[in-house]
Amino acid sequence: MRSVRNLYLIVTAVVAVSLLAGGLAEWLDSGAEEGGRFAGYMQRVPVASACCIVGAVGVIWLGWYWIKLARAITSIAKRLKADNIMDSRFRANGKPKASGNAIIDELSQVLTEALVRYSNVIGELERQVSDLQIQVQLTQRQKGHIEAIIYGIRDAVIVVDEYDKLLMANEAAGRLFNFDFTRSQHKPVGELVEPDKSEFVDILSHSRQSKTQATRKEIEFLKDQEPKTYDCIISCVYDRNRQVCGAVAVLHDITREKQIQQMKNDFISHVSHELKTPLASITAYSEMLADGEADDEQTIKEFCSVIQSQAKRLNRLIEDILNISRIESGLIKVEKKAVSLTILIEEQLQMIKGYAEEKNIEIIGQKPIVFDQVYADKDMISQVIVNLLSNAVKYTPAGGSVKIGTEVDETANLIRVSVTDTGVGIPEDAIEHVFDKFYRVGANKKQAKGTGLGLNLVKQIVEKVHEGRIFVTSKVGVGSTFGFELPLAMAEAIRT
Amino acid sequence: MAEKRVLVVDDEIHIVHVVAIKLRNNGYEVMTAGDGAEAFKIACEEKPDIIVTDFQMPLMSGLELVEKLRGSEETREIPVIMLTARSFAIEDRQKEDLQISQCLSKPFSPKELLENIEDILYHRAVINRQV
Repeated sequence: MRSVRNLYLIVTAVVAVSLLAGGLAEWLDSGAEEGGRFAGYMQRVPVASACCIVGAVGVIWLGWYWIKLARAITSIAKRLKADNIMDSRFRANGKPKASGNAIIDELSQVLTEALVRYSNVIGELERQVSDLQIQVQLTQRQKGHIEAIIYGIRDAVIVVDEYDKLLMANEAAGRLFNFDFTRSQHKPVGELVEPDKSEFVDILSHSRQSKTQATRKEIEFLKDQEPKTYDCIISCVYDRNRQVCGAVAVLHDITREKQIQQMKNDFISHVSHELKTPLASITAYSEMLADGEADDEQTIKEFCSVIQSQAKRLNRLIEDILNISRIESGLIKVEKKAVSLTILIEEQLQMIKGYAEEKNIEIIGQKPIVFDQVYADKDMISQVIVNLLSNAVKYTPAGGSVKIGTEVDETANLIRVSVTDTGVGIPEDAIEHVFDKFYRVGANKKQAKGTGLGLNLVKQIVEKVHEGRIFVTSKVGVGSTFGFELPLAMAEAIRT
Repeated sequence: MAEKRVLVVDDEIHIVHVVAIKLRNNGYEVMTAGDGAEAFKIACEEKPDIIVTDFQMPLMSGLELVEKLRGSEETREIPVIMLTARSFAIEDRQKEDLQISQCLSKPFSPKELLENIEDILYHRAVINRQV
């Protein structure tokens, strides 16, 4: 393009100069001729003049063009100088060193270099923009993940800014504090939380102001009119300058854990008390024997008998505790097979017979029934029967009776075993607790010794191991009926 | 000197029995009760010199018994030794407020119990003489 422009300028200059020179020559030549001088002049002057005029105009245009071009170059040079792009090779005392095409070439080179430099800068900027866009996308994705975690978490999560205004909260928090997050954003938490939960707001505010990295406290609230305990952890959020710019509170419902902990503590307390009671007798009697406090044969025998019976009691207690623990944890080995309840009852009646006769209590056995097979662990069900029978004998005064019977409910495909005594009976308010661990009916404690675990074991074996049902009815002074229901073996076989 | 009279209260018959033998062998007159209510009745009627009671009993616990004893003019001054399988169940403040002379943890030594009874009765006698 530049060469075409140069060619155009050269042709224009040559034509203009040729015309000017030709015109002048013609005009001078015309004056040298003799005679027909005037006529020649009249013929040739207009052509020469025209050539001179056109040539002069061409030279003037070329001059004007050059001036214009030089101004343009100077202007670009000044701008480049202002942009600190043009280097010393192009400048001399603030003016271009060369002129004409050399300047244009030089300028072109400088501009090309600047263009390359600018292209590189633009490329770099584009890369940075691209990186930033990727970072924004990643940040948005991370934000999405964090929001998904916060919204998916079952604990109540609340995020506040440095003025305790709500930034984020999950559904659990909304349910706990009874607010709708979408309508509550940027509102002060103190306005959103009900007055009975203001303790949380105080802790949140205090934790944020104290700038402690994490604060942990147990808080008790009423939720749906139920007292609940929460493990509240508040963590401060810091900005780049390590200034607190907000806080995150996580409230974990530990009500159940607290209840379990309390139950464990109660259980340990009960167990230790129950273990210490026979142990106290063993320790005291053995010390008395060692100190020679039993001075006759009969007393020595009596002391030894107490030690023996209390040791057995201790062992029974430990066995019961272990059995209950094994059943509860699902670790007990259960061997279920079809067994006849009539045979099991008969075996246990033989075992209890001596004890009943000793107390002068009549045992009334069952009538054999045609089909009495249950799918059960023989040893465990034997334990259930003997526990119910021995309890009945234990709490029945002399002269009373204990009756055991079975009946088949064909409609429900189950067999029902009932042990009915004419004993002291259980007060109405105590009936619901008789299967609780270590529970002993206060009024009946003097009647007989017990660990308070026998009936709990019966319940665990029947309901947890055999999916049966335990039942009790009682009237004080009249007697009690304890019993259980188990699915018939046939029904069990169909079900499994 | 007249025999000192001790009321032993426990729902465990074997404990009552062994303590009674120990004390009788050492010259004490022993009365027994199986629960707090029965013990309070005997204490009011017989006014023993000292009461040895279990902490956890049916109908009325050892603490409730002591509260009742301290609330009655006739039994207010009777010293009490508490036997308990739950040593943490009685707070020091309760012990002080109810003027429980001593708490012994089960399993306990009958010999140690006897020594405690003798100490308490001796100090009581010294104070009474000074008064």
